[in-house]
Amino acid sequence: MNLNTKALGEQTLKILSKQKAIVAIGILFIIMLFSSANIFTRGHIEALLVTASPDLIIGFGVTLAVICKGCDLSVGSVMSISGILAIMMINSGMPVFLAVFLAILSGSVVGFINGFLIVQQKTEAFIITLGMGLFIKGIALFITEGRPVSTQNAAFNAISNTTILGLPSIVMYMLIIGVLIFCLMRFTSFGRNCYALGGDYEVAEHSGIDVVKTKWAAFIITGTCASIAGILLASRWNTGNSIYGDLTPLLVNCSVVIGGTSFAGGIGGIIQSGIGVFVMHLFRYSMNLFRIDGVIREISPFVRNLVIGIVIVTIIAMDCFSIKRKKEDV
Amino acid sequence: MTKEATPVKGYLNKAGNFVLEYLVLIAILLLVIITAIIEPRFLTVENFTNIMRQFGPLSFTALGMTFIIVGGFIDLSLPGIISLVSMITLSLYDTIGEVPAMMVGIALGTTLGILNGTILVASGATTQAKALFITFGMSEIYKAVSQLYTGGSPQDRNFFESPMPVTNALSSGSVGGIFPIAFFVFLFFLTILFIFQKKTLTGRSINYTGGNFVAAELGGIPTKRIMIIIYAICGFMTAIGAIVLFSRTPVASPLMGADYARDSIMAVVVGGTSLLGGRGSVLRTVLGVSLIILLFNCIVLISTNQFLPEVIRGAVLVLAIWLDHRRHAKG
Repeated sequence: MNLNTKALGEQTLKILSKQKAIVAIGILFIIMLFSSANIFTRGHIEALLVTASPDLIIGFGVTLAVICKGCDLSVGSVMSISGILAIMMINSGMPVFLAVFLAILSGSVVGFINGFLIVQQKTEAFIITLGMGLFIKGIALFITEGRPVSTQNAAFNAISNTTILGLPSIVMYMLIIGVLIFCLMRFTSFGRNCYALGGDYEVAEHSGIDVVKTKWAAFIITGTCASIAGILLASRWNTGNSIYGDLTPLLVNCSVVIGGTSFAGGIGGIIQSGIGVFVMHLFRYSMNLFRIDGVIREISPFVRNLVIGIVIVTIIAMDCFSIKRKKEDV
Repeated sequence: MTKEATPVKGYLNKAGNFVLEYLVLIAILLLVIITAIIEPRFLTVENFTNIMRQFGPLSFTALGMTFIIVGGFIDLSLPGIISLVSMITLSLYDTIGEVPAMMVGIALGTTLGILNGTILVASGATTQAKALFITFGMSEIYKAVSQLYTGGSPQDRNFFESPMPVTNALSSGSVGGIFPIAFFVFLFFLTILFIFQKKTLTGRSINYTGGNFVAAELGGIPTKRIMIIIYAICGFMTAIGAIVLFSRTPVASPLMGADYARDSIMAVVVGGTSLLGGRGSVLRTVLGVSLIILLFNCIVLISTNQFLPEVIRGAVLVLAIWLDHRRHAKG
């Protein structure tokens, strides 16, 4: 009995040291206990989930790219342009269903092009997707002339602003997509192949996996997830704007790494990434909210940016450091 | 069959290689010819001076970026360095004078570069991808610090008391009314960096490090020191770029220079320096910068849409990276 508890304790410690993001959530919640603004209300938790949902969906997609030893920095621009396209098509008289479908397809197309350049042409994933992101942002600026676009269409507005089974619909979509991609990665040969080729591309190729198609498909899914997130975001604010998602790609990629999906490839999973993105949002949300009556009034936005920058550098540096240590161990 | 086909194929390959190798020069020539036909204003002395003036900040930051990319890394921290250096330099104008303030700014830029390099070395980040994320985070940190320093408000030079002869000379001074002074400053640094890259041991070591990091390390090149040196050079050149940048506007904001990381990478890659590292020179970067400046000069002359350059920029960047990989990919 005694031994069992001890073993259980060791087991928990092992899991916690592996899953640092859960520890971070615990620490953040403990810090927020001292704050005068109470985060532990249904309203706040719901608002937190609603703001985090688009990034979570993008995070699920990016996880696939990162597991395949790639990464996708064009997701922010894809997110902003799909919302803009959907709203512009609706404004030109297209039925909502078709407009949303075509806008989602635009993300898949970008994913397809990314896949072509990265997998077929073997360019470096992060730099070419950075370039794609800037290109798509340029297109978004060009078609909107730098102004936000909005629509009066009630059906489009309702996509993200209703409740399904007592939950905000946007959270519901996030959960559905999360479960779908989780099943895809866990129970299909495609998912297992992604892990295999992320772990060692050549070995995977020689063991008969169609590496090109698999990795290509992973990038298409990443792009599609980004455009779905963009439409949900546009529907939630009823606006499409070319400035949405400037920081998203780097923040989401970092969040995915926080969750434990490493740039080394082949490691990680959807749930871990979800936790990682959630931590990042919880962190930003708590910083917005944190105040102690009479001591700290409000954290200035510049300090918030500073802290987020420090967090990004620390997380990525730690990831690099652990990869380096692992290599030295071998 | 194959024997007959070989010479033709060989010529085709040679022609293809020639076109790929001198793509930038050909593109520049074509661009100049086409624009000169469409828009006669292009071939005037005013436009020529204008083009040379635009060599300003981008040419300096791109020169610094060349060393980073030749060394096999990448630096997204330029916007942060530009922001922090320009804010601190401007705030010192009234207290310690113009030239000392610039010296402080340049020293600060170099220090920030060394800081970037040190963090990369300390965390063992030896690939571009990791360098990209870390330097991006550093850029956010520098930007936030400069916003905290100024309270987020821009610096208006019109309210300064001290006279600013050097700044004014940098922004609008010229020799004989045609050659801007900033252009001569650029030529000066270009010469120094060219000699450094081609004739010194450290300069050559940067190329070896970029070509094959592991081999360079095994061959006894102090790769860690090289990493810090390339980031220091980039910080130094970025600081000078920042000074040239704020000298041209009366009001400097902490958010200016946001595009410079992207544009510098684009200029370097368009010039023909490989993102795979190890290949490239500062002279190629000059070609790349010229092409980009000419391109935007042409777009502005031809089209009035303010956002068209954004689209073209992105397209050129993607194309340049793609072509670079096709040309230099292993095997």
